[in-house]
Amino acid sequence: MAEPRITFTDVGKRYGKLWALRELNVAFHPGEVVMIIGPNGSGKTTLIKCLLGLVRPTTGSIAVNGEVIGTDPNYRRSIGYMPQISQFPAALTIGQLLDMMRDIRGLNDAVVDDRLINELGLDKQLDKRLSDLSGGTRQKVSAVLALRSKPEILVMDEPTAGLDPVSASKVLGHAAEVREQGGTVLITSHLMEEVEALADRIAYLEDGQLRFILPMDEILQSTGQQRLAKALPLLLERKLAAGMNV
Amino acid sequence: MLKVFKYTLIDLARNRFVLGYALLMLFVAEGLFFVEDDPTKALLSLVQVVMALVPLIALVFTIVYSYDSLEFTQLLAVQPIARRSILAGQLLALCTALLVAQGFGLGLPLIVHLPNMAALMLSLAGSGLVLVFTALGLLIALKQREKARGVGVGLTVWFLFVLVYDALLMALMFSFSDHPIEPYVVPLAALNPVDMGRILVMLQVDLAAMMGYSGAIYKHFFGSLGGIAVAAVVLLLWFFGPTLFSFRTFQRKDL
Repeated sequence: MAEPRITFTDVGKRYGKLWALRELNVAFHPGEVVMIIGPNGSGKTTLIKCLLGLVRPTTGSIAVNGEVIGTDPNYRRSIGYMPQISQFPAALTIGQLLDMMRDIRGLNDAVVDDRLINELGLDKQLDKRLSDLSGGTRQKVSAVLALRSKPEILVMDEPTAGLDPVSASKVLGHAAEVREQGGTVLITSHLMEEVEALADRIAYLEDGQLRFILPMDEILQSTGQQRLAKALPLLLERKLAAGMNV
Repeated sequence: MLKVFKYTLIDLARNRFVLGYALLMLFVAEGLFFVEDDPTKALLSLVQVVMALVPLIALVFTIVYSYDSLEFTQLLAVQPIARRSILAGQLLALCTALLVAQGFGLGLPLIVHLPNMAALMLSLAGSGLVLVFTALGLLIALKQREKARGVGVGLTVWFLFVLVYDALLMALMFSFSDHPIEPYVVPLAALNPVDMGRILVMLQVDLAAMMGYSGAIYKHFFGSLGGIAVAAVVLLLWFFGPTLFSFRTFQRKDL
């Protein structure tokens, strides 16, 4: 297997007395989509935030392409991020926001992939102020921002929340393209049905700990189920019965 | 940093609160010059308004804007850009927007009605207060996680600087009226940027005579170029102190 693109080594994050993430050791590889699931407060968002540099791990280290990430922000050049909540400066237009992010990332037109702007119907709304947009349209803008730089690492936090089914499918289609081009895609979602077709591996977090990370096929085969939503409870029950503390 | 500054300023230029601030200052200044026959008296009233209103507006607006743009700041923080550049761009844009609004609302009427040193000093002192309280507002927003709590702390800080500090100073002077404590009042007053701004303007309209012995001391100290330079340095310290703390806090903050 290729060298991991992202490696978490003994990563822990403590907020006050609460450990949101504990002793996380996991690697994510090029050309794969990993779906990160778990109950509310299980540590999914903290995991993502540690990778993005939004929070500093209390213990351990994270390496991207073999380099341990520190204070140098340049590693984030390879990351596209679609947050769960998209809030932008109210008085800017969509076009101005796209220009701003292109300038900040130092992208030129040859690198920028603007297909999604047209596919999501944003091309006709570029002069619209961000304050006038619906939640769904803001999510579309957010998806464009995450994907237009053709990232090596794509991180999506509840990417389909608020999107209509057609737009959700287009956004996930582009995420699949990132994988096909050798990128690594990490997705957290509660809407498993929408994302499971894309996932190569499933990482299950609970109480800040990684309980398992398994290939999607293995989960479905071992439980005899067709859908993740049905397979997952069975798998958790089995692991509990086997005394695996899940 | 300049990219964040540019687009944050574009956003702020269309912000209703900033436009409202410019119009409010214009309305107050024009109103005072309209009702007072003597422009100097209007200026004195304006000093009181500026010294109370500018810190309040700068503090509350900066705090609220910082909280409202938290998600966007997170989005900026996951781009390949240093955190210090994000904060510097945002702080510079906030200061610029408020200074331009104040220049329009306060500076314009002063140039039209009373183009003298006192008016210039009021403009400069007002600008200094914008810088100081924007920096303080940013620090408060970074230190407090909740918006309501942040605004509460901001209002408390405003209350302390604008009302409580003066009351304490007066109580001190009153309690030690038998002792020659006036020389100590100068550095104590200089600790409060609002008081210092007020004194600097008052001295330009030659009200020192009405301020008794303390006025004479103020005039002796702040009336010289050296004194004004000290005042400017103190205001800059009030700006750079909180700003440096803000940078340190933001660098380590979990977003």
